Amino acid sequence: MELKINGKIQNVGVEEGMPLLWVLRDELNMTGTKYGCGVASCGSCTVMLDGVATRTCTLPAVAAEGKEITTIEGISAGGEMSEIQQAWVEHQVPQCGYCQSGMIVAAEALLNEIPNPTDEEINTKITNICRCGTYNRIRAAIHTAAKMRTEKSELLG
Amino acid sequence: MGKWTRRAFIGTGGLIGVGLVVGIGANMLLTKNAKKYSGKGMGDGDSMNAWIRISSDNKITIAVPRAEMGQGVYTSIPMLVAEELEVDMKEIKIMQPQPEPAYANTLMVTGQSKDIYSSLTMMEKIAHFLPIVATGGSTSIADGFDQLRAAGASARVMLTREAANRWGISEADCYAENAQIINRKTKEKFTYGELAEAAGKIELAEIPKLKDKKDWKILGKNVQRLDIPSKVNGTAEFGLDVRVEGMLFAAIRHATYHDGVVSSVKNQAEIEKMPGVKKVLILPKGIGAVVVADNTWRAKNAMLALDLEETGDNTLSSEKINAHAEDVIANQLIATPLDKGNATAFLDKAENIIEGKYDVPYLAHACMEPINCTVLVKEGKAEIWAGHQGTSIMLDGVNASTGIDKENITVNMKYLGGGFGRRAEIDMILHAGFVATEMEGTPVQLVYTREEAMRHEMYRPMVKSHFRAAVNSKGEIEAWENKMALQSVGYSSLMRIKPAFAEPPAKDGSSVEGAANLPYTMANAKVAFGQMDLPIQVGNWRSVGSSQNAFFTESFMDELAHSVEQDPYEFRKSKIQHEPRFLKVLEKAAEISNWKIPLAEGRFRGIAIHESFRSIVCQVVEITKVDEKKFSVDKYYNVIDCGQVVNPDTVEAQMQSGIMYGLSAALYGEITFKDGEVEQYNFPQYEVVRMNVAPTVQVHIMDNDEFPGGVGEPATPPAAPALANAIFAATGERIRSLPLVKHGYSFV
Repeated sequence: MELKINGKIQNVGVEEGMPLLWVLRDELNMTGTKYGCGVASCGSCTVMLDGVATRTCTLPAVAAEGKEITTIEGISAGGEMSEIQQAWVEHQVPQCGYCQSGMIVAAEALLNEIPNPTDEEINTKITNICRCGTYNRIRAAIHTAAKMRTEKSELLG
Repeated sequence: MGKWTRRAFIGTGGLIGVGLVVGIGANMLLTKNAKKYSGKGMGDGDSMNAWIRISSDNKITIAVPRAEMGQGVYTSIPMLVAEELEVDMKEIKIMQPQPEPAYANTLMVTGQSKDIYSSLTMMEKIAHFLPIVATGGSTSIADGFDQLRAAGASARVMLTREAANRWGISEADCYAENAQIINRKTKEKFTYGELAEAAGKIELAEIPKLKDKKDWKILGKNVQRLDIPSKVNGTAEFGLDVRVEGMLFAAIRHATYHDGVVSSVKNQAEIEKMPGVKKVLILPKGIGAVVVADNTWRAKNAMLALDLEETGDNTLSSEKINAHAEDVIANQLIATPLDKGNATAFLDKAENIIEGKYDVPYLAHACMEPINCTVLVKEGKAEIWAGHQGTSIMLDGVNASTGIDKENITVNMKYLGGGFGRRAEIDMILHAGFVATEMEGTPVQLVYTREEAMRHEMYRPMVKSHFRAAVNSKGEIEAWENKMALQSVGYSSLMRIKPAFAEPPAKDGSSVEGAANLPYTMANAKVAFGQMDLPIQVGNWRSVGSSQNAFFTESFMDELAHSVEQDPYEFRKSKIQHEPRFLKVLEKAAEISNWKIPLAEGRFRGIAIHESFRSIVCQVVEITKVDEKKFSVDKYYNVIDCGQVVNPDTVEAQMQSGIMYGLSAALYGEITFKDGEVEQYNFPQYEVVRMNVAPTVQVHIMDNDEFPGGVGEPATPPAAPALANAIFAATGERIRSLPLVKHGYSFV
């Protein structure tokens, strides 16, 4: 099958049922996207499909054919950190860091949909698990990133 | 993880002989002869001592022999060295050394902080001889605080001496700054790199004086963590991310029952024909079966299809375990770690006694990164890659499972996707070592699926705690009695990890940590416990004994306060007048939470204070009643006294983290048994706090000059009792059993 990942076409020959997560991790060695639960509950495996946050551990890779797949490796493509990544560093969000790929991708999708989310909207949209409990800082970092993105777009007119 | 202070050390002391270990310890800070004791140490190349390498082009590398599991140790340990070495944190690279005596975690083993200025105690010598290079018990900073600053200071003095010699001036006419030695008079400079090779040969007579706290430039400041950039772009490599040329993936299926034995795979031929499958193996002692395949998902599918021939007790249930615990408390107490006055006799004849029967369930660690380990066995050598809490445990495990000498084993430490005590276990290493031996020449990554990881854990034990107490009209505690039943974590875990160190359950101090060492004034007090006999493995779960004992004791303290109609804060305060550090923490928590100002209607608060891992934490939690038995956990005020602070931002993060971990257990956490099997197997059945439920956390760190305490664990214990006390304030219902959802509560 043909997958478009972070703007690049990748051809993979796997059985149809294989979830996108394992195609990324084991077939393409793109290990930034994590395995956490395997039942689409924890969100560690989140990528964007056409800009929408999607859990890939239960999603057959074939279902992603023809869509723009954006993984954590694609968030800072070109080497420059996104506003969300910058805010994550500013607030020193990650602890163990294992869930943070999924968190960051989910946050990117959130800000694409709602540029300036309220705490309530963050609570509803970010349902990923962080066992280190970095939620306070994630919330603060999303607000900071939203502000940075707004300022940037105002600057660009 | 609990202290590994064990009498067994003393028992084996005679065999070791002092002569073998003379010269280790302090000397490692003074000369590079440390390498004589540390073998491979930092690997090939010159180093100043066991912790510091400076290359001729002025690259500075610090050895960090601890596990980075989110607590920031890959930054805080370099901070200790950099402060005295006079280098900027930006100049520092870190590396994980091979496990060797120089890097032993002495505090974790001896329970005593290292005194680098005196000769080693017998316990310390043994700790060096049988080094446990591991991370647990919230010990990294306290263990390294003097030693690592001294390592930096020693290297700085050696560099200074070399520069002074070259200029033909006295050392006093030189100073160190930004990785350079500067001539005070001429302002000439040498970079550390220019001096390092010759300076490394200098031997010092004594450990240099360390800086006063007021002169610190790095310590005590918020320093950005070195690991964070790689953790926001997906490049941080966790154990599960290890990819080695030609590697295969394996999935484990444990025996269904906890005392079970797998004898064969009934459908082996069929499994071997499944896509990608390379091999089907039975683990030693029939612990389980493993399928090796060319991809994790294919290995998992084949593992799930296994039809096992196995034995085991299919009748174990939470009801049976509960009845057993009751029997242990009534008839089988084995130790009385606290016995002051005569509490039992007093209570037997007292007229008004308060009773409370508490219990908590088994808990899974549920690390975010499922358990895994990668091992290659090839041509008489072995290599291991894992995120693990102990490089020496990795080494022991590979040695035991492959039979390969330790000198021929290379340990590669990766980031840990959560540790919490689970990654101090040895099971994943033994199993991966066995599989790699069977698959010789091919690296194999062994993975536990979430379901396998959760159903076959080393759980926080189920614990019962039965209290009786008497309080007089003045609110003084006249008698306090606490009888407990549990499985000893120290015994269970050490029998797996380091059997030579295991003491019988009756001597396990971790069972009663936070129960038998209360700060409160009590005229008569007795704490006793008994050992439950079950085939369930129990292990170190973030804050260990304090994880349950803080809930029991701080909830029961609340009961006593209400029994004499006293304010829970004032009640505690009156009983810690002789403990100034406790008193200050308690008062500060009341101050920042405005304890004395009533909350608005529908809002309630609870308080708890607890010492664990050499730090004192007091928490006040505020909750809002949303509906009948439906609450929002709004905010935790958290005050910690952890002595001198290395990186305040990390302390704040660990307070937030410890609370969320304790709160997850308080609200939802429960592992139960039915028909011999664990009923919970993934997050939908074992729910944890998510963003929508997470309270805000406000942290205050006490400023003092005390020796550093731990921060990774101490915020977890008070989280549950503070909340249960707030629930009581709101509803009048005393919660004596966790989790709260079991009592019909829900949280938004």
